[in-house]
Amino acid sequence: MKKTAGLIPCLLASMAGFAQNRFPKPDFESGYQYPQYVYDVPSEMLWTTVDIFALAVLMGVVAWASLRRRTRLPITIVSIISIAYFGFFRKGCICSIGSVQNVAVALTDSSYAISIPILIFFVLPLVFALLFGRVFCAGVCPFGALQELVNVRNFRIPTALSKVLGMLPWIYLVLALLFAITHSAFIICRFDPFVGIFRLGGTVSMIVFGAILLILAIFTGRPFCRFLCPYGAILSLFSRVAVWNVKIVKKQCINCDLCRHACYVDAIRPPYNNKVKESRSAGVRRILLYLILLPLIMTIAALTLRTGSDLLAGVHKRVQLHEKYHLEGEQAIEVETFIGQGGKIEELTAETAEIQRQFKQYSTVAGALIGLVIGITLINLSLKRSRKNYEIDDANCVSCGRCFAYCPQNNKSSENTQSTK
Amino acid sequence: MQTKENTNRHIARRKFLRTCGGIVAGGVIVSLSGVLLKKTVSHDLQTFWQIDPAKCVWCGRCETECVLPVSAVKCMHANKVCGYCDLCGGYYRPNVKDLNTAAENLMCPTGAILRKFVEEPYFEYTIDEELCTGCAKCAKGCNSFGNGSLYMQVNQDLCTNCNECSIEKVCPSGAITRVAQANAYDFKDN
Ligand code: SF4
Ligand code: SF4
Ligand code: SF4
Ligand code: SF4
Repeated sequence: MKKTAGLIPCLLASMAGFAQNRFPKPDFESGYQYPQYVYDVPSEMLWTTVDIFALAVLMGVVAWASLRRRTRLPITIVSIISIAYFGFFRKGCICSIGSVQNVAVALTDSSYAISIPILIFFVLPLVFALLFGRVFCAGVCPFGALQELVNVRNFRIPTALSKVLGMLPWIYLVLALLFAITHSAFIICRFDPFVGIFRLGGTVSMIVFGAILLILAIFTGRPFCRFLCPYGAILSLFSRVAVWNVKIVKKQCINCDLCRHACYVDAIRPPYNNKVKESRSAGVRRILLYLILLPLIMTIAALTLRTGSDLLAGVHKRVQLHEKYHLEGEQAIEVETFIGQGGKIEELTAETAEIQRQFKQYSTVAGALIGLVIGITLINLSLKRSRKNYEIDDANCVSCGRCFAYCPQNNKSSENTQSTK
Repeated sequence: MQTKENTNRHIARRKFLRTCGGIVAGGVIVSLSGVLLKKTVSHDLQTFWQIDPAKCVWCGRCETECVLPVSAVKCMHANKVCGYCDLCGGYYRPNVKDLNTAAENLMCPTGAILRKFVEEPYFEYTIDEELCTGCAKCAKGCNSFGNGSLYMQVNQDLCTNCNECSIEKVCPSGAITRVAQANAYDFKDN
């Protein structure tokens, strides 16, 4: 009897549609107490403070190890700490690499508020880079540290090829900014290859991508850092003009070529004697050619990306909703919900058009920037600068400190140098 | 001698350019932080992702789209809203023949809903969060046939607070947003 008594109101209610509180609150006679649930909002205060503290201290340690002590051991220890803490314990969020996007949105959208930890994660490594070089990359960034620790061999990528591949981080950065400021996606976060490893889970494709990069990192230094990381690209600008930079040796370089083989990110440039003496007029002509070529490349790239802007706009959720409506009609759950919430299809169409228009503008600029990157890389490839000694390319050096031990001039006793080879 | 002077000039010029670059870079950092500092959230150090239960349509994507191996989204039960029905729309599958607790009759694929007899005719339902995978089947049932006391929430202890919540990107109802610390949970029984 009781059972049917329960059944009937249920059936009635299901017919009544979406009304909630279909059943009255029961009057308990047995003195029943409602269960109590306690959900504490985790105190982020503590952990974010620890995060920021750790970030600063670890970068300080690397700066000290790479500039003053000139040994690698502390840097390796920092790498392990960083992987354990920032990687596995804090699960890789928030990281400096992704913070670029938050900063971009904050700068362009007046209603967006950026949280202080994110701001610090963005700015602090830049400050350190300007002072001490890329000490963040050396071992504080869990991604860099991970690739650093798995590396055993150092197969060299031809310098020209690595310069060309070196465009990728910039292109990635430009696209990430494009998607961030249009509120479409945080692609750096979405295509983050290592976060799945730290979280021990994630989509299959991302895990595979991360695994491939890690396997590559065994054989050649830091493929992600060199050829993908957008934050590394920004850092390289700052470390290029850093106040203090890593020096291979404090004494006279004897041009033995050992350090160049030690550097696994290919940041050490061998001496080069530029024999081709260019006449003044030839030099002027060359620069003129570049000046014409650069805008040309930029225009082509800008137009290319502008043509593809509708494709790019497809990443935006509203545009996707609009597409869904045209493909599946009101059956699609997204569309159904949209209409259920009082959304109008006409408004959606207008909104989509607006987003696409916005994308057209932004992707033109993005294309021009990509063209600029390509142009500068090409010019860079054709420039040959004379060098007398082995020199560190400050933009690419990640302050890992590998070269110190290899330089025979750094060793107190010269016997040791024989055994290194 | 001539070349030596030349190189010296060269080095001096490079040094000068570098210093200029450094000053520019320093200026960029200072002004950027200045602008951004004005835009920080002053009252909260951190914001959280949370589901608005009034918007959620229990599509089930929370279970599969979270970056964690087992979703950080869990079912919660607002007992004060619950009708304590015997025939619970969240506990039983629709159109069950026999009202027994055999697994094939139950909505929850993992048996995370615990049912306890209170008094005639009431049954108490609670969620074992350890077992819940956030599939939202129960919440859908409860909201369609019952009081809507079962609902989905991001468990903030589990959520890693991704910079971009993967579920938010595919949530059909726009139910997931970043909220301030004070609203880190959107309880239905408050
Ligand atoms: S280049 Fe990028 S990924 Fe590599 S260590 Fe630096 S910030 Fe991290
Ligand atoms: S994805 Fe959105 S609608 Fe679907 S269950 Fe999660 S919160 Fe609810
Ligand atoms: S923020 Fe990340 S961990 Fe949290 S619910 Fe969303 S996807 Fe899952
Ligand atoms: S039906 Fe799904 S959402 Fe509900 S308790 Fe079970 S696993 Fe959790």
